Amino acid sequence: MTRLIPDWEIRITNFGLGYILMCLIVAVAATNTGNNGLYLVLAGMLAAMTVSGVLSRRNVRGVACEIEPIGEIVATRHALLRVRLENRLRTGTAQALFFLHEGLPGPLWIDPLKPGEKREVVVEGLFPRRGVVRVPDAGLLSRFPIGLFRKYRRAGLSREIVVFPVPESSPVPDAPPEDSRGGRPHVSRRGSGFDIRTLRDFAPGDDPRDMHWKQSARMRRWIVREREAERDRAVVLTVDNAVPDPKDPAALEELEHVISRCAAQAIVLLARGGEVGFQARGQFVFPHHGRPQRARLLEALARLEAIPQEDAPAFPPLRRGDHRVVVS
Amino acid sequence: MSEKAAREGLPSGLRRAYLEALVPAAAAAPIPLYFTQGSSGKALALYEAALLVLWWRARMGRPVRLPNLVLNLSGLAYFVWLGFEVAVLRDGLLRSVTHLLLFTALAKLASLKTAGEGRTALLVLFLLSLAATSSSTHVSSLLYFAVMALLAFRALVRLAVLADFEEAPPVRILAQVPTLAVSAAGIAGAALLCVPFFYGLPRLKGPYAITRFRLDDSLSTTLTADRVDLESFGAAKRSDQVVLRLTADAADWKRVVRLREAVFTEYRDGVWTRRPSSRRGGFAVPPDRPPRDGREPVRIDLNLFAKGFLFLPYGVETLHMPADRAAFPLADGLLQASPGRRTVTYEVGLGRPAAARGIGRSAIDPSAVPREIRDYAAALIGGEKDPVRVYRAIQDDLRRKFVYTLDPPAPHGDPLVDFLLRSRAGHCEYFASAAAMMLASRGIPARLVTGSYGGEVGLFSHSIVVRGGNLHAWVEADLDGTGFAVLDPTPPAGVPPATVTGSMLRRLASLGREIEFFYDRRILGFEALDQQRLFEDARERLGGIAGAASGWRTSWGEAAPLAGRVFLALAFAAAAAILARELWRRRRPVPPATRAYLALRGLLARRSGFLSAATPPAEVARRVAETIPSGAADAAEVVSVYCASAFGGREVSDETARDLTDRVRRLKKLA
Repeated sequence: MTRLIPDWEIRITNFGLGYILMCLIVAVAATNTGNNGLYLVLAGMLAAMTVSGVLSRRNVRGVACEIEPIGEIVATRHALLRVRLENRLRTGTAQALFFLHEGLPGPLWIDPLKPGEKREVVVEGLFPRRGVVRVPDAGLLSRFPIGLFRKYRRAGLSREIVVFPVPESSPVPDAPPEDSRGGRPHVSRRGSGFDIRTLRDFAPGDDPRDMHWKQSARMRRWIVREREAERDRAVVLTVDNAVPDPKDPAALEELEHVISRCAAQAIVLLARGGEVGFQARGQFVFPHHGRPQRARLLEALARLEAIPQEDAPAFPPLRRGDHRVVVS
Repeated sequence: MSEKAAREGLPSGLRRAYLEALVPAAAAAPIPLYFTQGSSGKALALYEAALLVLWWRARMGRPVRLPNLVLNLSGLAYFVWLGFEVAVLRDGLLRSVTHLLLFTALAKLASLKTAGEGRTALLVLFLLSLAATSSSTHVSSLLYFAVMALLAFRALVRLAVLADFEEAPPVRILAQVPTLAVSAAGIAGAALLCVPFFYGLPRLKGPYAITRFRLDDSLSTTLTADRVDLESFGAAKRSDQVVLRLTADAADWKRVVRLREAVFTEYRDGVWTRRPSSRRGGFAVPPDRPPRDGREPVRIDLNLFAKGFLFLPYGVETLHMPADRAAFPLADGLLQASPGRRTVTYEVGLGRPAAARGIGRSAIDPSAVPREIRDYAAALIGGEKDPVRVYRAIQDDLRRKFVYTLDPPAPHGDPLVDFLLRSRAGHCEYFASAAAMMLASRGIPARLVTGSYGGEVGLFSHSIVVRGGNLHAWVEADLDGTGFAVLDPTPPAGVPPATVTGSMLRRLASLGREIEFFYDRRILGFEALDQQRLFEDARERLGGIAGAASGWRTSWGEAAPLAGRVFLALAFAAAAAILARELWRRRRPVPPATRAYLALRGLLARRSGFLSAATPPAEVARRVAETIPSGAADAAEVVSVYCASAFGGREVSDETARDLTDRVRRLKKLA
């Protein structure tokens, strides 16, 4: 994608260069002839250039611009951004402003902002790759007043923008089989797992195999073991983010694909109601289910970075019952 | 821009926007060329008509775009026409160049294909306005500058906006920029900044190296002072050209109303000349003496013409010339400035008020008076010998039988004789010449004097602007042996009005004339010596300030303890004020719901004596309800809105805020 967003604060335009050249020509003509009409024109041109600089600086610097994402942001997909604009000047309307962003087809015109006026604009943005955006590629641009210079002010962020990886179609692993003696204990439910939750008096319907004979003898009444329930076994998606050379574009490209596939698998598994966790070198997201877990997983994938193989830490150990699926 | 778009050029809507931005400035740019003959009227009319068509088509949404073939053919055709114009018509280089610029501007505007061509059109318009500017020295150039600044600013701002559009912007966008306030502020700021730039840019050559001398010939000839022509004096009096500006105390205005410039004693066939022997002689006014103390000198800014004779009031005692100019004394109290710049500023000191007397003794030779005039005088005066009665007779005759006019009929023979015997109509110089000659014919020492009478008082200053219409001629004659007295035989209708101090409306009308004088003297005539003096003045003023500062340092030692304490106190007060202002500016505004809740807590604290900071809002509401049962509903509502606002993020509308205020007020009354 063509880079639309300038990373400079001020740049002279072709028109500005021509203007300076004309100033030089008129200066030579005035000095050479002594014609005060030409001196007057030259003085006017210099004064206009100075005034233009002052007005331009006031115009761009007086406006605060902050952007905030609306909803999830997925790489290469259009997302909504809320742009908050505020003219902090007590006097002077900020005008001839354009909002620039990679995702927009071109500069977006902002109607003049009166002194002290606040305005919110919703624009459709596009972030080309996953990751965390702390410094936005967006801002305000203006050639005001007479187009000698282009001035740019980068927008601020109300909070960092996490760009989720775009899901890439891939085979989704099956959920592990139901296994009452292999899953993780449930913290709040009775069941028939391995772990003993508590001891209690026998009640009709209890499994005789759960009788605690020693305690029954000691207490002289029937005591049974109450066991904890066990969940299904959880899937822990594993991405190996260790690469031989973190600067190798091919390796990085491959890692991006793996991350995208992992995102797709996580979304599908969670949608099926399963518990999904994530694991990479030095990173671990505990398995869980539901929409918050989806956001956690995608954020972890968004923040994942390639690390050199020789310094790569080992994968964190899995908990009992977690089922590791290496995404490739 | 797509390839197709690039091939087809600017989209129609964008071309329309470019044209609408550029055409007003394009229409105004060459207007001065019409008045300076820098372009033929027909070419300008054609240009403006073509612009009108372009603008109208653009407004209709169908902007003109000439095909390349048409453009190339018209370019070739114009090239041939240019050759014909230069070789055959010989209109002059300036005209040919401006015609070429007019054609180029039109061609560019009619064939805009890219945004870059819009900028090229702008460059051509700039060259056009440069040609217009440099070919005119009239004061109305200032108005032209102002109009062009406004139009150019609007055009440039709109082009700057259009530069970031690839498609036609909505119409409202160009209507929004620039705002009137920004235009006014920008142009005013640039105009103010122009002043230091204009006066600070280094001057290496005189301003009149190539500019056309704008004085009309009649004025220049009239003020040559070694020679004055009766027939050209009327034309000079019709000129509106500013001759000088005189600044004096209002008390002295009556004494400076008549300014003497030249004295003539030789007449031949309608032309007065100065006697060659009178070019050097005694002079009563010592030049280059500083003005006398205790009295404000009269300051004169004179636009020098030709020989550079100075205008001086009667009764002048001292003269102070600028350091770079000298004044050469001539006979009859005349002064001639040394060659140099076209303008000169000098100061004269007036002596004690007395009857005006001309300096010098030269007079018209009675034998040189034409016979017809001598006979006319003899018939008029008869045997009268008393010079005063002789003059009265002459004056009565001139005022009764003669008519004042600036357009006397063409003379047959000697104009003065024709005036006396046939036409009996003429301007002040005819009257003065006739009176002087008739006095001389009777043996009374007399001479013709030219200068100025009256003027217009400036709007903002106590200065009198003397223009061509104030030029005047009169007679100096020695009637009683006490010296040359001033005699003005011209009928009252022909004497220029004396110093006008009239209504505000009249003074307002004179503002334009002051601007014109300022433009002539301080802008068109500004040159290296002026600049040098300006810098010297600035340096002297800075030196004065430095001197004052060093004097202050000496006295500071004595007053330091007290002044130091005062200064410190003021500094602390200023710092505290600035800090308080900043804190006030940065304070976080308390939301109305929070304010109402805090008021509720304050109310409860006053009633119950103590209220813990940890008391939650619901408890506050409950305790208010216990304390003031009739205010339970109000308290519950205040707390509810507060919780929704502070913890639920709900905005409180203005109406709700007013409702909360009312509820709190009601609770306070109940309490």
